[in-house]
Amino acid sequence: MFRFAFASAALLLSVMTGAASAQTMSYAEAGALIAKSCGPSIERFCAKDNLGSGDLYQCLQKRGNQVPDQCGADYQNALASIAKRVAAQRDAFRICEPSIREFCAGVQPGDARLLDCLLTASKVVAPTCKQVLLDAGWQ
Amino acid sequence: MTRMTRFVGGLALVAALSAPLAVAQAQTATSDRQIMQGLSAVVNDDPSLTAQVLRQMAQNAVDKNLPLTLDKSEIAKRLDKLAQITVQIQFALGSAIIRPESYGTLGAIADAMHHPILLNYRFIVVGNTDTTGTRAVNLKLSQQRADAIVRALVTVFDVSPDRLEAVGLGQEALQVPSKPQDPINRRVQIFTIGTVGAMPKPVPTNAP
Repeated sequence: MFRFAFASAALLLSVMTGAASAQTMSYAEAGALIAKSCGPSIERFCAKDNLGSGDLYQCLQKRGNQVPDQCGADYQNALASIAKRVAAQRDAFRICEPSIREFCAGVQPGDARLLDCLLTASKVVAPTCKQVLLDAGWQ
Repeated sequence: MTRMTRFVGGLALVAALSAPLAVAQAQTATSDRQIMQGLSAVVNDDPSLTAQVLRQMAQNAVDKNLPLTLDKSEIAKRLDKLAQITVQIQFALGSAIIRPESYGTLGAIADAMHHPILLNYRFIVVGNTDTTGTRAVNLKLSQQRADAIVRALVTVFDVSPDRLEAVGLGQEALQVPSKPQDPINRRVQIFTIGTVGAMPKPVPTNAP
């Protein structure tokens, strides 16, 4: 049985109970995970649905009892990891701004120069900044 | 560069990297690092080469049924000068459905586009076919495939739609014109075409 709802609840729980320090997957790893766990089901049952069309997920859900549990769980995991990484990449500048002001003042933004500065100063930058860079996959 | 070396992932990515003006067009790359290097080498910006211009060149070639020469086409020659990568994305036969085995490759492209090195750049995603099948059908299919890749990058991997344009060139920019039916010509190319906007000013030094 393809338990999306269950997988989602379990995931929420794991986030709440301190998985905060866990590193996010890269987008490549997330895509590969969906392919590994759901690929056979997708090719068999959802061959007309494209990744990103929104129909693929629904198609797998409809085929619930024919799709392995692992597919539901891993699909959810991959999407949650992608969402977490997206949020980290979006918030990184704001969260790291105090550290940038302290250690990277005058550095011209662009071509990852601020990131380079923060990574060079990683021993002294704020822990929240280090964590967001880790979640963003930029360390 | 130490940052670059962190990008070497375990992903078995079949990507052909070609930096601007590189001689070896079909060089095989196997890591995220090479995607990054290929896309960040912006030394030959060509502001007149837009997605619309490319589509028109291809449509024109199909409409007039221009002969295929042994040389690279005009479109291919102009594109060769841009920072780019070539990747193999597997599609279902004759359709724009991306096969699951390529989801990881799409993610790897997103990883590169989301990195601070490339965050301020825009890209054209180009789909190409070989000469098997009808010229006009190839043009249409390659556009649909490029569209599918852009849609997945935007909706699944959160790349901003403002940074991406999809162009199908059909068989009009063959990788190896001397072997027009060789599957090597079926490929997706991603070109860095310009910046999103000016970068902000540096943060000021804290006053003592």
